Amino acid sequence: MVRNKEQSTQPEASVTVSRQGMFVGMRRLLPVCLFVVPFGIAFGVAAVEQGLGPFQTTAMSALVFTATAQFAALDFLSEPVTFLSLFLVVLALSGRHVVMSAALAPWINRLPLAQRMLSVALLSDANFADAHPHLQNGETDFGQFIGAGLMLWSTWVVSTALGAYGGDLFGNLDAFGAGAVMLCFFAATVVGMLRRSHGLILPTILAMAISVLTVSLLPMGWNIILAALVGGALSVVIRHD
Amino acid sequence: MTDASFILAVGLMAVGAFATRAAGALLMKRITLTPKVERFLEGMAASVLAALVASQLVTSDIRNLAAVIVAMLTMLVTRSILWSMLTGMIAAALFPHLLAAWS
Repeated sequence: MVRNKEQSTQPEASVTVSRQGMFVGMRRLLPVCLFVVPFGIAFGVAAVEQGLGPFQTTAMSALVFTATAQFAALDFLSEPVTFLSLFLVVLALSGRHVVMSAALAPWINRLPLAQRMLSVALLSDANFADAHPHLQNGETDFGQFIGAGLMLWSTWVVSTALGAYGGDLFGNLDAFGAGAVMLCFFAATVVGMLRRSHGLILPTILAMAISVLTVSLLPMGWNIILAALVGGALSVVIRHD
Repeated sequence: MTDASFILAVGLMAVGAFATRAAGALLMKRITLTPKVERFLEGMAASVLAALVASQLVTSDIRNLAAVIVAMLTMLVTRSILWSMLTGMIAAALFPHLLAAWS
């Protein structure tokens, strides 16, 4: 599929957003959202322990919507706040979203401005992993990504509020058990992608190796970005259909 | 912390988080989607998820590795994400007990 600069003139280039598509995405991501809940609660509890108010904590989840960056930011959120370090940590830890946003660009950039803004604001690891294989397979309803994103966002905000307002009720939560399941979700998604295009197997293995080898050499988060770029470059060299 | 510094801090975080999400799509507006570029993006999509999993596995305990291996094998056999998450979850829950039984 080759796209011209005048994208709207190409009928096959149309990307739609339908309510049915949004429901499909919501339903598909429901099981994943169950495992987001313990993380949200854990963040709510941790942020309140750090001295944030429950409302502040919930507002942060609603506005930032990036679990890893929010957990890391807690270390910076006491006076005196080192704003530059805080900003750089957020950039580094959500830097992988640049890669995901670029990978979704063929669909996102064909949406009207308002839907494009909404899609970008709702981008996270889980709805990217969920929707990308379907879109790559030829589906054109981007509602599945937006619906799944809305579902993840509301789960994240509500579970943060649960932890922030009712932290004592939950005791010691095993968020790491839930972390294992999230890893399984992402790993299974990758296996699904590799099943569909075998040309991606070598680039993916190389990307894993690079991210592991550079995890202690590069600043937080950058190892993933480097690995993704090298994996992408190698898959240009290797021909596959 | 004061309200003013909280608002500034969360504002910065929100701007940073949104900027990274928007940057990829904005960058791609300047690039024509040739088949080569599409292969690059597809390879990057699989690689970023694989790298995310790998770098979390290497900094966590062996239980997560066991769960992920079981989930990947399940995906190969069943092609179902849901089954993979389920068997991975069971593996993560059982692994400490298996380890205790063996040692």
